[in-house]
Amino acid sequence: MSQINYRTINIDALDPESSANFPMESLLPATLPQAASASDAANAATQVRQMLRGGDPEGALRTVLDTAPLGGDDRAKEVHLATVIDVLQGIRQGEMTRILEGVCSGDGGAERADCLMKYLYVKLLCFGFQERNCLMEVRGFDCLSIDYRYKGMSSAAPGSGTQTPKKPVSPQDTGFSQIQARNLGEGGGGQQMSVLLSWHERLVEIAGTGSIVRVMTDRRTV
Amino acid sequence: MSQSLRPYLQAVRSSLTAALTISNFASQTSERHNCPEVEANSSPEILLNPLHISRNENEKVKIEPSYNSVRISIRIKQADEIEHILVHKFTRFLTQRAESFFILRRKPVEGYDISFLITNFHTEKMLTHKLIDFVIEFMEEVDKEISEMKLFLNARARFVAESFLTPFD
Repeated sequence: MSQINYRTINIDALDPESSANFPMESLLPATLPQAASASDAANAATQVRQMLRGGDPEGALRTVLDTAPLGGDDRAKEVHLATVIDVLQGIRQGEMTRILEGVCSGDGGAERADCLMKYLYVKLLCFGFQERNCLMEVRGFDCLSIDYRYKGMSSAAPGSGTQTPKKPVSPQDTGFSQIQARNLGEGGGGQQMSVLLSWHERLVEIAGTGSIVRVMTDRRTV
Repeated sequence: MSQSLRPYLQAVRSSLTAALTISNFASQTSERHNCPEVEANSSPEILLNPLHISRNENEKVKIEPSYNSVRISIRIKQADEIEHILVHKFTRFLTQRAESFFILRRKPVEGYDISFLITNFHTEKMLTHKLIDFVIEFMEEVDKEISEMKLFLNARARFVAESFLTPFD
């Protein structure tokens, strides 16, 4: 005990009444749907893919957003995320606006728009990293743990692309070289990103900025 | 402007518009204090879900909103090591002058090149849409600036090497 410098102990963290120990569960609404498991998500996925193959992208998007596992475990959320991305990529650019208008109107349209916005933000982050890590990062509310993860991440891949490790490139100790893969700026998956970014743009046009505010404040993550 | 840059900047603009709805909020832990909650990190309740927007693995933006402050971190495009050095020098130049540059954060968030911290006092004193315009313009200009500097550096290096090696010709 004498080893610990008591002046550096954050006594607020030890107080159960302190704001640092705010019970985050109390922010979740009581009407949260039943926790979905990974198999439920997989069932929904097959149903949605059938609709997509059957030439009903609007119905597929509607279903996939209605069955989002807001109260599910991480595994179910991952499976569902993959389904949403499949649906989004299965819809052509020209049809985007029409389908979005269809999905965001009618009963529960606003909820579907918010849900789609959440998925877009999850996917806009996930590009190029270990998906699991960044999913957990989105779900963790704790800023400190996020920063720790970033530390690990930046030491693993400092700036350059995923395929080439950066360190052994320089031939001299002191100098730097330009001998490395060019075109990293636009490479690998930039295409997928631009599809998601245009989805984001259309959705903001239809659902408005309020939808983004609800993504920030809603603790029911997808 | 390139085709994929426009939706990227548009997404950042709408996200910032949403995030910059902040208001005065006194500290919950110490009386008569008022600090940016996103930095103080005093309660998980006050921090909202962070928003990330990435164009590709080299260019991304992280927006961390809270009740009374928003932290915006930008990762600037760096295709090779020269650009990495140029970006480092450039951001260092800016962050060393952070006190005369109200919204600039002295140290970038880990994994990003430059961070801005906008509090409710800034949005009260300045126009919010102008602040957003500034961030967007910064993101546009900095790419141009870095590639210009790189071209200039290469031209200069070539000239120096030529004049150095002329006597041995």
